Amino acid sequence: MKYIKCILSLTLICAVIAVMLAAANYITAPVIAQNESSAANDALLVVMPDGTDFTAVDLAEYELPASVVEAYTEASGGVVVKLNATGLSPNMIIMVGVSADGTVTGATCISSEETYGYEKTYGENVTGATIDTIDTIDTVSGATKTTGGYRSAVRDALNAAIILGGGEAAKTEEEIFAENLAAALPEADGFTSVFMLDTIEGIEGAYSANNGVGYVICVNDKFIATDANGKVISEGITTEEKAVATSAVATILSWVLTPVDITAYADMPEAVLAAYITESGNYVLELKASGYGINGDKYSKSGEYIYIKVSVTPAGKIIACETTSQKETDGFGAACGEPSFYSQFNGKTADTYGEVDGVSGATVTTKGYMTAISRVFEAVTVLTGGANNETAE
Amino acid sequence: MKQQNNLSILLKGILRENPVFVLILGTCPTLATTTSVVSAIGMGLATMAVLICSNIFISLLRKLIPDEVRIPCYIVVIAGFVTLVQMFMHAYLPAMYEMLGVYLALITVNCIILGRAEMFAGKNTVGKAALDGIGMGIGFVLALLSISTIREVLGNGSFAGIALPFFSTHKISVMTQAPGGMLVYGIMIAVVNKITNGKAIKKKEFSCAGCPTASTCHGGCATEAKEDK
Repeated sequence: MKYIKCILSLTLICAVIAVMLAAANYITAPVIAQNESSAANDALLVVMPDGTDFTAVDLAEYELPASVVEAYTEASGGVVVKLNATGLSPNMIIMVGVSADGTVTGATCISSEETYGYEKTYGENVTGATIDTIDTIDTVSGATKTTGGYRSAVRDALNAAIILGGGEAAKTEEEIFAENLAAALPEADGFTSVFMLDTIEGIEGAYSANNGVGYVICVNDKFIATDANGKVISEGITTEEKAVATSAVATILSWVLTPVDITAYADMPEAVLAAYITESGNYVLELKASGYGINGDKYSKSGEYIYIKVSVTPAGKIIACETTSQKETDGFGAACGEPSFYSQFNGKTADTYGEVDGVSGATVTTKGYMTAISRVFEAVTVLTGGANNETAE
Repeated sequence: MKQQNNLSILLKGILRENPVFVLILGTCPTLATTTSVVSAIGMGLATMAVLICSNIFISLLRKLIPDEVRIPCYIVVIAGFVTLVQMFMHAYLPAMYEMLGVYLALITVNCIILGRAEMFAGKNTVGKAALDGIGMGIGFVLALLSISTIREVLGNGSFAGIALPFFSTHKISVMTQAPGGMLVYGIMIAVVNKITNGKAIKKKEFSCAGCPTASTCHGGCATEAKEDK
């Protein structure tokens, strides 16, 4: 009886409290829901001040960019997108408002783990951008990774707005170029840019299939595919274009490199690791550059050199330049491994190589790279019999 | 326990039996929420509301609750009222709800509330229990207000978020941190002890007879303490 009384008492008290809580929940739940909705709307209004009646989008119904974590449509056709971007660190959460006409109405970083705080103000730079202009907005020097990641997220938001509006996402120039290559030679398993040992007139670029099935030669903005022996596969091209592509592949296949004994040249710069000569008399040099990894004893980020391959005419004009390996800092000096940087040296001479744009936010890397390029011209002078060791610096 | 008049019940919690400075209860929320005056007042009023309601409820049911299950019953009642306060604060004072965070839910385990339920509400009439809740609640609010005023003014150079001349440019940052909280708390206890001339802590209510675990302990801890000495 005593235990039953205990059980009944406790049960009764629990029941009374449960009823009280249920009543309180009945009163407060709608108010809490309204408050939370209002708070969420306030955050959306920061990036879309004129927006009204925001409605959450079910992301499962659309194929949006992977960085999109939430999306809201508003009454006038605008879209607010919440993205998880990667800057110098992951989890840079950005809100972007896009109006019905595809213009960024505002962008703000809600939270991040970046180091310098540029993500807090970069939103002002992208406001007013469209899918056509977003890539023309500069990143901030010294925060290339952060602002580059931010800009990429805004591009994703603009694409998401297009998709939510029933359109197709815009492609980057690189994506379009890669698609054109693949369309020209579908059997290829990826492409590698051919390192040019000589200037081939009439072509804008040459790419070899990674699986060896052939080449794609760019002539007059056309992508002309050939097989591994240079026989043109593509159709709908002129006879002249076909001849140029065939000749280009024949030239590429004819290239033979003969090693040069650099130890025989006392004045050969130390940066030159190996040298080769082609049948046409051009040189191919392999060099090491002291970037952020090797710069005296002051820096020791990676402890690795930057390795560069350069083809150059006997007259000292660079035909092609390529970074073969590097371990510079991600987001900064590592950009020296990008074609957009090293291809700037193509066609440059000892007088003009200094005109190229350095790697943003990587002064030490740029300086080391430029020094290595200057050694190319010194090496050519030595190889061609000159005794001039004066650098172009 | 000798009979106390209503005014005495109401006033004792403010100074002579102040729950924070004399009973040394509710130390965790006291230190945690006194970095700013606003959060201290919020915590004080929330605790006061729970204290009054739970005291009344427990006093109402004191004859129905068997002695064996009184502590679980008290906990259920207190947790229920804390959840009620949480719900209403979330709905109507969302900024305060965000500010207090987890400490709001932790009112459930605030020793002041369980202590008053066990020591007073479970043994007195509804009216006296309500007065005790109000008195102790006011005492708790005043204690938090005094500590938070000192900490915010000296540590943050402001009062209730309003910047104060001189103090805002001469901040003592440690005052907003845990060591500063302990320092102010200790000084305040000493001040109250001085004002009450040490009499407050000698009251029987805070001896073994007033202890929540007296029925099971039978003064054992006090005996052990003497033996240790």
